[in-house]
Amino acid sequence: MRFGRTSKAVGVAAVAALALSACAANTGTEDGGNGGGEESGGEVRVVEVNAFSSFNPDTAKGNVDINSKIEYATHSDFNYINNDLEIVKNEKFGSYEVVSEDPLTVKYTVNEGVKWSDGEPIDAGDLMLSWAVMSGHFNDAKTDKEGEVVSGHNYFDYAGDTSGLGLTDVPEIGEDGRSITLVYEKPFADWEISFGVGVPAHVVATQGGLADEDALIELLQSAPEGDPAKPQERPELKKVADFWNTGFDTKSLPSDASLYLSSGPFIVKDIVPEQSMTMVRNEDYNWGPMPKIDEITVKYIGEAPAQIQALDNGEVDIIAPQASADTIEQLEALDGVTVERGNQLSYDHLDLNFTGPFADKDVREAFMLTVPRDAIYDAIMKPLNPEGSPLDSQIFLPEQAAYAEAVKANGSENFQEVDIEKAKELLNGKTPEVKIMYNNANPNRVDAYTLIAASAEKAGFKVVDGGLGASDWGSALGTGTYDASIFGWVNSGVGVTGVPQLFSTDGGGNYSGYSNETVDELSNQLILETDPKKQEEIQIKIDTELWGDRFGLPLFQPVGVDAYSDRIEGVKYMPNQTGVWWNFWEWSVKE
Amino acid sequence: MVTYIVRRLITAVLILFGASFIVYVLTALSGDPLADLRQLRTPNKDALIQARTELLDLNTPPPIRYFIWLSGAVKCVVPFLGTCDLGQSIQGEPVTEALARAMGQTISLVTAATVLAIIVGISLGIITALRQYSGLDYGVTFMAFLFFSLPIFWLAVLLKEYAAIGFNDFLAEPKIPLSALLIIGLVSAVIWGILAGGSWKRKGLAALIGFVVAFAILFVMDKTGWFVNPGLGPVLIAIFGVGVAYAVTGLTSGLKNRRALYTALLMVPIGLISYYAINPLLSMATPLMIVLLAVATILVGCIVGYFMGGYDRGQSMRAGAISAFLIGGLIVLDRFLVTWSAYSSHSRVRGRPIATTGASTPGLDGDFWISGLDNFTHLLLPTIALMLASLAGYSRYSRSSMLEIMSMDYIRTARAKGLSERTVVMRHAFRNALIPLATLVAFDIGALIGGAVITESVFAFSGMGALFINALNRVDPNPIMGFFLITGILALVFNLIADLAYSVLDPRVRVKA
Repeated sequence: MRFGRTSKAVGVAAVAALALSACAANTGTEDGGNGGGEESGGEVRVVEVNAFSSFNPDTAKGNVDINSKIEYATHSDFNYINNDLEIVKNEKFGSYEVVSEDPLTVKYTVNEGVKWSDGEPIDAGDLMLSWAVMSGHFNDAKTDKEGEVVSGHNYFDYAGDTSGLGLTDVPEIGEDGRSITLVYEKPFADWEISFGVGVPAHVVATQGGLADEDALIELLQSAPEGDPAKPQERPELKKVADFWNTGFDTKSLPSDASLYLSSGPFIVKDIVPEQSMTMVRNEDYNWGPMPKIDEITVKYIGEAPAQIQALDNGEVDIIAPQASADTIEQLEALDGVTVERGNQLSYDHLDLNFTGPFADKDVREAFMLTVPRDAIYDAIMKPLNPEGSPLDSQIFLPEQAAYAEAVKANGSENFQEVDIEKAKELLNGKTPEVKIMYNNANPNRVDAYTLIAASAEKAGFKVVDGGLGASDWGSALGTGTYDASIFGWVNSGVGVTGVPQLFSTDGGGNYSGYSNETVDELSNQLILETDPKKQEEIQIKIDTELWGDRFGLPLFQPVGVDAYSDRIEGVKYMPNQTGVWWNFWEWSVKE
Repeated sequence: MVTYIVRRLITAVLILFGASFIVYVLTALSGDPLADLRQLRTPNKDALIQARTELLDLNTPPPIRYFIWLSGAVKCVVPFLGTCDLGQSIQGEPVTEALARAMGQTISLVTAATVLAIIVGISLGIITALRQYSGLDYGVTFMAFLFFSLPIFWLAVLLKEYAAIGFNDFLAEPKIPLSALLIIGLVSAVIWGILAGGSWKRKGLAALIGFVVAFAILFVMDKTGWFVNPGLGPVLIAIFGVGVAYAVTGLTSGLKNRRALYTALLMVPIGLISYYAINPLLSMATPLMIVLLAVATILVGCIVGYFMGGYDRGQSMRAGAISAFLIGGLIVLDRFLVTWSAYSSHSRVRGRPIATTGASTPGLDGDFWISGLDNFTHLLLPTIALMLASLAGYSRYSRSSMLEIMSMDYIRTARAKGLSERTVVMRHAFRNALIPLATLVAFDIGALIGGAVITESVFAFSGMGALFINALNRVDPNPIMGFFLITGILALVFNLIADLAYSVLDPRVRVKA
């Protein structure tokens, strides 16, 4: 029997194939990966919009939400704020007590055994540095009209407000070396949220050119208070402050581990710039709420649709995208995902200028009566949050306990319904021309303006569209080039020092030229009042005055949304800037 | 020539100055960098505004700020002036660092897509030109224009929904239902039918084969659990290897050149032997090792080709080298496939291997193979999206260029003197058809670094596009100027290169000083 060449070749190939298939090379990759190692608590991945840029979020440059969130997870402090916007003390970290009401004296003590992740204890030096930063005690800069510094220096480039701790003199350090006592010149309403521990003092001291932490304490205690009239050169302090201002800014994991020390439940392990960062447990940590998970990974995804699909694909566990009707609809269509929504701590409002046509209270009232607040809410916010309603207080938000009481008392019930007839009566045949200024690049503001203008015209107002572009509306505020404005305020949810800013005669955010002696007096009382109950009472009085003076109208709060996969539990909506991170220690992985 | 280049460079510098001035001023005027601070109601609002005003020097008018920026930026372009200073971003990061990082990301994102688009696009163009007005021609044209006109963000969303989320769901339970098998078979039948061309009988036969082949392969893959534990193994490497050898020889020298064919075929057993021999070595692979191995395989191909000799050593060497390279690629592919199940079951990957965002799985520490797969699964979707969108350009250009060449007199002459169709197409037509494409390719490579703004933001890549758009949102001119400097210079340089390359490739075009 003869085989053809082709058949032979096929035969040989078949035999070879059989032989070969039995002996694929051993690649040694059969064992599945176990990157998690001996972890038990599991890993949670959170999505953030902005990329990390600094380990010191207290600087003006580093004050970005993501930096503060990372700090929140890697630092412990005397207190934190929960999602009912209450201040919760962390007694395991340390304690603070009001030693005396007059003068207001507060003693802060860090517990023994609380330490940075390099083993250095958290002590008076760290508290002193925080005080130096937050009080602006040494600043002696003088600025001209345009805001340019003409002489002296602002040492620490602090993003927060120095007006509170600025009332204190150099604090005394306790015998134990773990406590300091702050004495306020006069009572300060927001004392409880104005002080906390920042970056490690021993690192700032050595990197800032000093011998050690004690040298820093010595420097801070001996340097005289800054006086803009007599600026001094303080090269040592300048060096320390310069390091504090910029030394912790980084987009990647520094090779020097002292730049990212942890005093909290987690410590940063790895950073992929502009992509992700990984935090693992701080092994020493036992001074505060204990986390249930072993690792948090932060992944940066800017676009809401991309976040949603990443959640759907199981790449990430928690997202908090920018809320829009589309976003919420897409999220609710997902399986295995819990969606939470609530108000954000900011609000859009209509302000009336107390000059021009609105100098007349009747005209203001007439205008306010024409504002269709329900229609505005229905048009802008209803698709996102069907259960909400327009905001009824100039000072409180519904998330705050005193809101209900304030609404009952402040007189907002007179402006629940549009009343064109009454507005016409008040105008008495007049047809005032009013120019409304708003950001015409923001669709919500454009909608609000359109509805307000249409309704006001029914009552006889001649409305002029004063909408400005995104780059111009902000600088137009307070210039008097308009009669009414629609824009937003951000409310921190705790603290009262924001109130006088907006409503007292010389307040920095009082763009309407509003001036009411009673409000001024109440404002002065308010920032001196340390009793939360009394703070509320005063604020309700101010609120009532504002509605009585026909100051303007609050419109609505934007909606926030977060969503998390069913793989994890323990996530709770938080209206303030901390977002879902506020209770990260309660997150846990199911299974 | 030199005068011409110098003249072009001088104009380029002038253009850069003018354009950078316009871009700087436009950016500075594009928004209010203080917008986020204005809504604060805290007492330190003024201090924050002042700090940012100082940081960005907002009290100085933008045209003057441009010259301050320029005094630092000039040092980057002109050597010996001092250290390069492109300023800092609003967050205090030096722009040079941000640029370096963003460029790396962008290059990794766009390179594969561009190379694939060039190769696939040109091949499609050539094939459709050779079969003008056939079903294939119309089909490819239709698809190319379809993908060209799809908005990329929409394409990306579809890809994520089906190629990532849907495919991951499938991988979790890899069972192909009979209906799906039938549909895939039918699709394959249509494609084979169109590809076959010729008479209806021929088309029908091809369609039948296409249906059976696709159905059978998927059926076997499904039954053997290939999707859970993929791999090629020596048998498939051998079979594909032989296929590669025939295809490469067919294209480079024609199957009639037996020595070239034997060289290429010899690569199959050599490849199989090295498949076993270098196996332990591959377990500790590094990128450098793979590159060196690739060079070694090419050398082996050349050497074998040299010793096979024959009347045309060059052809044998070429066929050997290309087949060796491709068979080496098969071995590497097999290794990646074998690693797949380890990757996909890795605790960080969570059994969802195809990713929709980012460049890598956070916290994944793996060897070369694991991290290679990780790169692959992250780049897969953006690469497909970018490639589909840019296929149209290449395929249309190469099709028309090829059609023009094929109607030239010298092609008729070549046919008339009895050259084989392969020689006419590959040697006489194809090479000349590439000349006009040189301009396009050079320019596209220049545009590579510019990034793809939409694709980057949809897939959460932080490349040049993201750098640009983020800076623009923050009204932060420095990063934008860094971006502009790089892309502007590259665009001008590659434009020049394209022109010069044209004159080198096409003797009819001469550069005149």
